Amino acid sequence: MISVKNLYHSYNNDKNYQVKNVSFEVNEGEIFGFLGPSGAGKSTTQNILTGLLRIQKGEAIVAGYNVRDMSKEMFNKIGMSFEQSNVYSKLTAKENLDFYRKLFDVPTRDSIELLKLVGLEGKENIKAGNFSKGMKHRLTFARSMINNPKLWFLDEPTTGLDPSIAANIKSIIKEKNREGVTVFLTTHNMFIADELCDRVAFIVDGEIKLIDSPKNLKLQYGDKLVEVEYVKEGEIITEKLSTVLEKDKKSLQNIISRYEIRTMHTKEATLEEIFIKVTGRGLI
Amino acid sequence: MKLFYSFIKELKLASRGYYFYIELFVAFLILFVFLFAVPATFDSKSSEYIYLDMPKEAKDMYLEEILYKDIDKKAEVVKVKIDNEKKDALLYITEDKKIYVLNNKEDVIDIADKERKTSGIIKIDDENNVKYEYYLQGYESQRLKNLLKILHVEEADTLKEVMDNQDVRSISTNYELLSDRENILPSVLVFNGSLMGLFIIAAYIFLDKKEGVIKAYAITPSPVWQYLMSKVGVTSFTSIISSLIVLIPIMGFKPDYILLLVLLIVTGFFSSSLGLLIASFYKNIMQAFGVLYVVMMLMILPNIAYFIPSWDPSWIKIIPTYFMLEGFKTILIGNNDFIYILSVSGGFLITGIILFVISNERYKRNLLE
Ligand SMILES: Nc1ncnc2c1ncn2[C@@H]1O[C@H](COP(=O)(O)OP(=O)(O)O)[C@@H](O)[C@H]1O
Ligand SMILES: [Mg+2]
Repeated sequence: MISVKNLYHSYNNDKNYQVKNVSFEVNEGEIFGFLGPSGAGKSTTQNILTGLLRIQKGEAIVAGYNVRDMSKEMFNKIGMSFEQSNVYSKLTAKENLDFYRKLFDVPTRDSIELLKLVGLEGKENIKAGNFSKGMKHRLTFARSMINNPKLWFLDEPTTGLDPSIAANIKSIIKEKNREGVTVFLTTHNMFIADELCDRVAFIVDGEIKLIDSPKNLKLQYGDKLVEVEYVKEGEIITEKLSTVLEKDKKSLQNIISRYEIRTMHTKEATLEEIFIKVTGRGLI
Repeated sequence: MKLFYSFIKELKLASRGYYFYIELFVAFLILFVFLFAVPATFDSKSSEYIYLDMPKEAKDMYLEEILYKDIDKKAEVVKVKIDNEKKDALLYITEDKKIYVLNNKEDVIDIADKERKTSGIIKIDDENNVKYEYYLQGYESQRLKNLLKILHVEEADTLKEVMDNQDVRSISTNYELLSDRENILPSVLVFNGSLMGLFIIAAYIFLDKKEGVIKAYAITPSPVWQYLMSKVGVTSFTSIISSLIVLIPIMGFKPDYILLLVLLIVTGFFSSSLGLLIASFYKNIMQAFGVLYVVMMLMILPNIAYFIPSWDPSWIKIIPTYFMLEGFKTILIGNNDFIYILSVSGGFLITGIILFVISNERYKRNLLE
């Protein structure tokens, strides 16, 4: 669905690139995530792929169209939700969607149905300018699905949303993906990446450091940990112990033989811990 | 069809913003002022300051001649302020002029020098020829200078003959054909229509930039030019409405509205495209304000030439509003100079298209800026 080779981008048109030698492929039907801290170049890459930024150096094929000379037709097949919501504040939620529908040449979804989907039912006749930040974000998100896109770009789809709304958005993304929609998303939230993505690319300072599935990464990089909770002299104690390190293995045996065990589970390293290990950087 | 929907959406947006109402309000305000405050014709008699440098008999004869043209056949003794001093003068009021006859040569020169009025000395030389000496201000048009020259070239044998042959020509043609009130209308049309359009479309663009909706539009199959054109459509539409609000009650059905619409549309298109282009270089209205202001002031300059026919430097003709004014005036006079109107309209259409195409390229290229 997407094929990117040696992509570079510099906002000042100099050698100080904000996106450096980025190459990756997104397969049809998968959810592919760009995970990286803020300022890493995620949005820049996405904007080049959707033609919002002019491609400078490198090659990119998106939904069968070369980004260098993309045709407006391509936009019938793709949808994009923005990091910063951008809707007409003087139009109502429904008017915003109704107008947007008219701009496509393919069948579009009913505005009311979409508003319902993102939890904005009953709000259709309120001007978007009177919406809260989260509501505007959901409206922007709903708009990106209006043309039933085959390829869906999502820039920080859940950032800044209430957990319950974020959960709703995540389940919509999963559902669309199950229907066959290919998703390219950017996030600095490892839970999103972990939970949604079939594969993630770690990106820092405009460079991709690694691409793999969260599961593989954990197998490969995660030290096996055991979290054990036991009672020692009437007190409950919790400890995280490695199943690899000799010292930890010994103390684990010791705990098991001497104390009353309350709970014990193996614990995988989080994607964030792996990210830090690979890139030497945190996600904030 | 998409263009039509975009236009309707823009109209909806415009109707929910306040610029739209400001424009309509201003139109009604102008109409109100015109109908109730501006007299159809105000005192526009031109004033002439002269000194008669000639023997008494000749002078008396000349004054008698002027008196004959005076409306009440009486000369008034008045004071004329020259360089903060009050000087005596005789005032004759004729159909179209106020003639002040001053008492000495110095006053003539002072009034030209200190009060910036055009004045003249009329004298008779040894051969009994009448000589005219004018004191001009330096900015008078060549046309006026030529006119003054040819006015008096013929040598005459007698004073009487000169006076009888004296030819009064109006400096601008058409001038008498419109009432004073009507004469201001072209300026109103240019100001309320085009200049407001230029400013308002830029304001709309900056509003959209702020809301980021241009980006959302850019990722649809609809071309950017339609987005821009729908904005041009709305600003032109509102400027036509506000122009008609002022025009119809004042001019009735005298002017040719078809020609008028053509000129309103193309000038609206031209100035909106200019506004689009200017807006494409800036992120917000504060940054663009300086340039918008300078452009609008330049566009207002030709109004001065329009109201002061004697000031008409040739460089003013490179400012497009000059032709807007002339075009609207030609239509309002009603002599239906199709060729002139259509060529002026064609000029605005072509330059408008060029500006629009450049703007379109710029917006396509720099959507995120
Ligand atoms: N319009 C712009 N002009 C100049 N620099 C920009 C612009 N947008 C982003 N940048 C810079 O490019 C880098 C990458 O930004 P971005 O792609 O937005 O990061 P991310 O989406 O990963 O948070 C950052 O250093 C940012 O400051
Ligand atoms: Mg970003």
